[in-house]
This record gives sequence, C-alpha cells and structure tokens, in this order.
Amino acid sequence: NIDPESLLPKLPSPEELKPFPTTCAAIFRGQEGRVRSVSIDPRGLFVASGGDDGYVRVWELLTGRQLWNAKLSDEDAVDAVRWRPNKDSAILAAAAGENIYLVVPFAILSPDVEQSSRDVLDAGWGYAASKPSTSTNGIAAKEPPARWSRPGPRLEGKGVLVQATVRSAVKVIHWHRRGDYFATVSPRGQSSAVAIHTLSKHLTQLPFRRLKGLAQSAQFHPSKPIFFVATKNSIRSYDLAKQELVKILQPGAKWISSFDVHPGGDNLIVGTYDKRLLWHDLDLSTKPYKTLRYHQQAIRAVAFHQGGMPLFADASDDGSLQIFHGKVVGDLMENATIVPLKVLKGHQVKSRLGVMDVVWHPREPWCVSAGADGTCRLWC
Amino acid sequence: MDPSIADTAKVQIRLSTREDGLEVPDDSRLLFAPTSLRRVDLSRLVNNLLHNDTPIPFEFLVNGQFLRTSIDEFLTQNGISAETTLNVEYTRAFIPSLHVSTFEHDDWVSAVDILSTSSPAGHWTGNYPQENTRILSASYDGLLRVWDTAGNVLATSSAPHNGGRITSLKSAKWLSDKKIAAAGMDGVVRVYSYDDSTRTLGDATLELYNHNWQVDNIAVHGPSHRILAASADTTISLFSSRAKENPAAPESLLPRSTAASNKRQKLSKPAHSAPARGALATLRSHTAPVSAVLFAPNDPTVAYSASLDHSLKTWDLPTSSVVETRATSHALLSMAALPTLNLVATGTSARHISLIDPRASATHIAVMTLRGHANAVVSLDTHPRSEYGLVSGSHDGTVRVWDVRSVRTATEGQGQVGESVFVIEREGVEKMRSHGEGVKVFDVRWEEETGIVSAGEDKKVQINRH
Ligand SMILES: [Mg+2]
Repeated sequence: NIDPESLLPKLPSPEELKPFPTTCAAIFRGQEGRVRSVSIDPRGLFVASGGDDGYVRVWELLTGRQLWNAKLSDEDAVDAVRWRPNKDSAILAAAAGENIYLVVPFAILSPDVEQSSRDVLDAGWGYAASKPSTSTNGIAAKEPPARWSRPGPRLEGKGVLVQATVRSAVKVIHWHRRGDYFATVSPRGQSSAVAIHTLSKHLTQLPFRRLKGLAQSAQFHPSKPIFFVATKNSIRSYDLAKQELVKILQPGAKWISSFDVHPGGDNLIVGTYDKRLLWHDLDLSTKPYKTLRYHQQAIRAVAFHQGGMPLFADASDDGSLQIFHGKVVGDLMENATIVPLKVLKGHQVKSRLGVMDVVWHPREPWCVSAGADGTCRLWC
Repeated sequence: MDPSIADTAKVQIRLSTREDGLEVPDDSRLLFAPTSLRRVDLSRLVNNLLHNDTPIPFEFLVNGQFLRTSIDEFLTQNGISAETTLNVEYTRAFIPSLHVSTFEHDDWVSAVDILSTSSPAGHWTGNYPQENTRILSASYDGLLRVWDTAGNVLATSSAPHNGGRITSLKSAKWLSDKKIAAAGMDGVVRVYSYDDSTRTLGDATLELYNHNWQVDNIAVHGPSHRILAASADTTISLFSSRAKENPAAPESLLPRSTAASNKRQKLSKPAHSAPARGALATLRSHTAPVSAVLFAPNDPTVAYSASLDHSLKTWDLPTSSVVETRATSHALLSMAALPTLNLVATGTSARHISLIDPRASATHIAVMTLRGHANAVVSLDTHPRSEYGLVSGSHDGTVRVWDVRSVRTATEGQGQVGESVFVIEREGVEKMRSHGEGVKVFDVRWEEETGIVSAGEDKKVQINRH
C-alpha cells in the first residue's frame, strides 16, 4: 500500500523560504475614504498613494510619516499612482478621472534632483507645440487621443507640472522600464481604452483600435518590445515592433481584475474578481499552469517582486493579502515552484471592499498594501 | 515536593565576576547556598561578602542565563542536578528605570543627544559641569531644541530657509558645549552655535552640501572638528565643522541653483545666509541608502557605516577607502560600537540586533544575535559604564536594555542568541502593538547621570532614571 501523496515531490516549508513579509511594520493614516493605489519609489524611500479623497500623497516608507500631498480633483478619486522607474529623477504619475498628472514633489527633493526631474517633463513642451498629436493611422484626428497641458498655478505650485487629458477615466498606469513611455487603461474608453504615452514628446497614441472585451489592465514586457493587454476574460500579448498579436492567454476567469509579469518575462500571474489567482507559464500553454483558490472574496491586485526575490502577493476584498514563494527556473523542463507562505491580516473590510492594491519594495522582502479602510500598510 | 526538604536543600556555587574591584575574597568564592534563594537573596549575600555599606544591586548569570527564578526552579527547568557545582557570575544590575519624565514637542522627535560631564561632547569640552547637563532634541518640525534636565526649553533654532523644501530633521549631535550639528530630509548638514549664558541657538552658522537625497544619520568628533553624514544617496560625507577647511559647495545642490527653487527662495524670508561649503571627502561603496555612521571610538581616522544594502563597512578616512565589508542578510538601520569587545552592534529591519566583529581577522562575522523587538531596530547606544550593556530603540514603541553576557541558546552555526534584560515602554501607553503606530521610538541615548533618554513618534523625549 503506497500512499499516492508520498510520491509527489515534497514542497519546501515556509520556514526554509525566508525571508518574506510576516508583520505589519507601519500604518499610513491620514486619508479620507478608500485608498485605491500605492507605489514605492525606485530608491525604496517613499510610498505614494491615491484614493477616494482626490489626493495624491507621499509618505516616508519606514515610519509612515506623510511628507507631501496635493489635491488633484474635487470630484474624482485618484485611481492610480505609479513612480517613474528612473533613479536619477523623481517623477510620479497619478490619474484622477480622465486626467493623468505628472508630478515632481520638489518639497522632498534636493535642487539637482528637482532640476533633472523638471528637465524630463519640460522636454516635451516644444514638441507638442510644433507637432499636433495624431492617431497611429496617420490621419489627423478630430479629437486628439490626449490633450497635454499645464495644470494651472495652484497645482504647479505643488509640483504637479503636466496634465494629459484622455477621453475616459483612467484606472491603470504602467511605466516602461526605461521611463520613456507609460501606458494607461481606461476600461470604458472603447477604442481609446489603452493608450501609450511618450513622455519626451508629450505624445499619446492609441495602438488598438478594436479590443475584444472590456480592457482591465496593460503592461510592458520587462525586457522585450512586447505589450500585454488584459480584457475581462483573456490576456493578449502584442509585438510592438511588428505590430502583431503574439499570443492569447485564457485564464478561464469570469472577470480578470489585474495581472503582473514575472521579471524574467516568461511567467504571469492573474487575479480575478471570481476569487482566483492564476499562474501562467508562457512557454507551456495558453491555459494556467496553476490555479490558486485561497480567498473568500475578489482578488483586486497581484504583484511579483521585481528585485530578484522569488516572491509574489495578492490583495483581496476579504481584507487579507497572501504572500507566495514563486521560483522560476531557467530550465525549460522544470516548472515553477509555488508555495503559499503567509496570510497578512490587518486591513478592515469596508462596504465589502478590502485590500485594493499591493506593491513590492524594489530590493527588500517588504510590501505595501492599500486598503478600503483608508490606510496603507507596510509589511516586513 | 515536601516544602521542608526544598527549604533545606543546598547546592554548591562558585562565585565569579568580570567587574573590577568587586571580587569576593578567595576563601568565600565556593559556598553552599540554599536552592530556595532568588536574585535578591544572592545580591544581599554578595554585598555581605563584600562588606558593602551601600548595597550594589547584582544580577546573576548561571550558565550564561540570568537567574529569574529560585535556584531550585532554575535547576529543574534546565535539568541540572543539585549535585553539580554551579558557576555563578555576578554583574552590576542594569536596574529597571522607574522614574520617568517627558518633554513635550509639537511634532515627532527624531533624535536626541546629551551634553554632560561624561558625554562625548562633555569630555571634549573638558570639565563640563554636571549641573549644566543639557539635552538636545531634533524634530520633524525642522527645529532643534536645547532642554535642561527639568524639562525647560532653553533655546530653539530657527527653521532653515531652503527654498520651500521639507525641513524635517533626522539626526543631531553636540560637537562641543557651544556647537551642534544637525541634518535631515533636505540633505543639508547644518552647524549651529549655542550660547548657554544667553540661551540662544538661532540660525545655522554653516551649511554643508554634498547630498542629493536625505541625510539619515550624522556622527561627530569634536577634537578634530569632523562630521560624518550618512545619506540615502548611498554615500557618506566627511565635513569639517570649521567653514574654511571645507571646499566650495557644489553649485547644483544650492537652493538658488534652479530657477524654480531660486524663485521660491526669494519668496520665503531671505535675510541671513550662512556660509555654504562642500565636503572634504565622499565615501562611495554602498549600493543602497546608508542609515548609520560612527567614528571608531578609539581612532577617529576610522569610521564604520551601516546600510540598507545589508553591509557594514569599515573606512580609512585619510584615504577615503573601504578597509573591510561585512555582508549580512538584512537591511541595517542603526549601529553602536563595543570597542573593548571588538564588536559593532547593528540594528536590522528584521527586528533583531547583530553583534558583528568588523575585523578582517575575525572568523565569525555575526558573533551574537539579540532578539526581542517586534519591529525595526532604528537606534542603538552603549551602557555608559559597562562594555556589556546596550540600549536599543525600535519602531515597536519600546526601548530594550541588553547585557551581551546573557545568552539564551547557542544554536549550531547561528552564533549565540541573547534576550533583553528589561523593556521600557512609552509613558502612558497601555498596549504596544508591533507596528508601534503613534509610539515608534526613533532615537535613544544612555548617559551615566541622566539615564536612558529616548525620542519618538509620540512627540516626546522620555527620560528613565534609576
Ligand atoms: Mg537612527
């Protein structure tokens, strides 16, 4: 009598997979209403947050001290905040309604970092003046995909220096690794749902005239000219150079909320409103390699550690985050090892909404979550 | 167990100490003690053997563990036969600090330093009168304050004019009884003159520019007028507190260097401007923010640094070069040197303190790990008298006192693990949570007469005295 369980390869225990976050090390308090989005700057010093109160805020990572804020909108929530990945400057992108703002929070910067950041944003003004925006089909559009403008003295006095207005409310911002481009997703935008913006030219392009389904999220491949777009049920990858569809992934989900690409580029995690977390190996199949059902409620955000640690996390409306070990092996014959490590609890569920976003520190096994309870939390 | 038997049971003990001048006479080192004795009883016994008129409170280490129960319970817990001879080491007790006074601030207090007869700056000044003991505090509101020990503010600095930037301070130190160095989130190190007779602090008298991200920690050496600054830009600066010794400041870092900043500078109150200077040297080798820096206690031409890149480095200052790098497994956030033990203590984001031998010849890098904090250990200082004593401040809202002789276990390959001797919580706080919200401790100093002085998110400087 052989127990079939004993024949399966034994997974390592969480104890052997340290370090990973286990405790709440700081609470970031001071926002009104839900926090929708968080981002850690590329140096790992600051947390940016955005939420229902229309503010974008910057906090000191380890202490939870609020250092800077600006009110971007009286009506709209700040649904997305993302730091530009470059270390020699400090630029924050934030979206409220149809407006994307590019911010240099100079109050927390030295004069030379302020200057290099301003230079990056200012470079595009001349281009915009000399060349009106066009859509990719080359025909001068009646309505440009975006209007780039100065946000006015009140916001500019705070360091909110550039405003790009698109046609429909932006829910997702994702930077290209070099910081030259960023993508935005406006789920209700139909033909303009996914936009790619060129920072140095203050230029907005709409690469997909027809998208099958409601766009949910989009991001650049970490090293190749490939772009991923998630709609409600599937994720498509496109070759940006050849302008063609590469692959369609079918997670088998009712409604995708978010996805993230492994820094190696060949694996992908997908979170769904139907409570599932899916791991896709792009080399294997268009179907998920692993399906993980650990949450009682919808998964709103998923994130891979981008700084070399084999960790990923998800954030759920049940108020918890789950931390996983996810080791990708270079060998094509060997599949990724996935081990659940820790459930992080602390956020309160408010009006059936729990944890809205999760991001990893650029180097350390630390993550920061955003909650519907009005707080962000650092987990170390 | 029949209590009458327990009362009369005895065990042979061999008394020893590492404290100079406190050795018991040779003929009374080996004795039979009732197993019912506890720490206080043993302390009375040793004081009797020493013929002390004023008793010294002692702690007792049995096999590296502090005695916290009766000897009988200790033997049972550790499975030791009452037939064996127990080696009992006694040490001056680091008495739990009972008396508390608090100095209220308007904002979070990030740093404290003490000027007294026995503090470094008091030493450098020479014969500094004890009754004039002063406490320096630095706050997130950008201001330095000088206090007397009764909690009166004697002087407050003016906020710097830095072109509309954040002024929150992170570190401040007495260079002498008349000079203070401070730095923080705007990356500028400032030197202030303090006059105790007129109680004036005022504006900075020197501004030192070399960093393009915040300065989290500074170290000073009064006799050579040297200041070290540890920055989030991954470098360390060496400055002189004398303006003329430093080169010109890098133009790109001055508040007036950019058009936008210059405009803001003009809008804010201009007036007074202190001389601006650059660094004597920039120490480059760390790859992540540098969180702590120290002059080696016995040699001010040597410095130690701790970084979020997980390493502890030893520097030769005359050549600005790295002498030694000690890699650890965690982000390092604080540091203190234990020179007679040849160790450097460093506080980590992983809630513990590592005792590291920084010397190239050392075979063991992490000699000992001190566990007990529930959050990042962001400040460390040494006992003013004992080379074995340490105090730590943590984001868990507590200050802990450690005796590195107290060893709980010696796990194979992991070095030794120690536990704190006692814990100081924030005054008036019922329940500390590990995230320390509202009560995070940011800095702690330990001085002979003043006691343990700590600062934190509760906007208070708290003093615990014997
Ligand atoms: Mg510190």
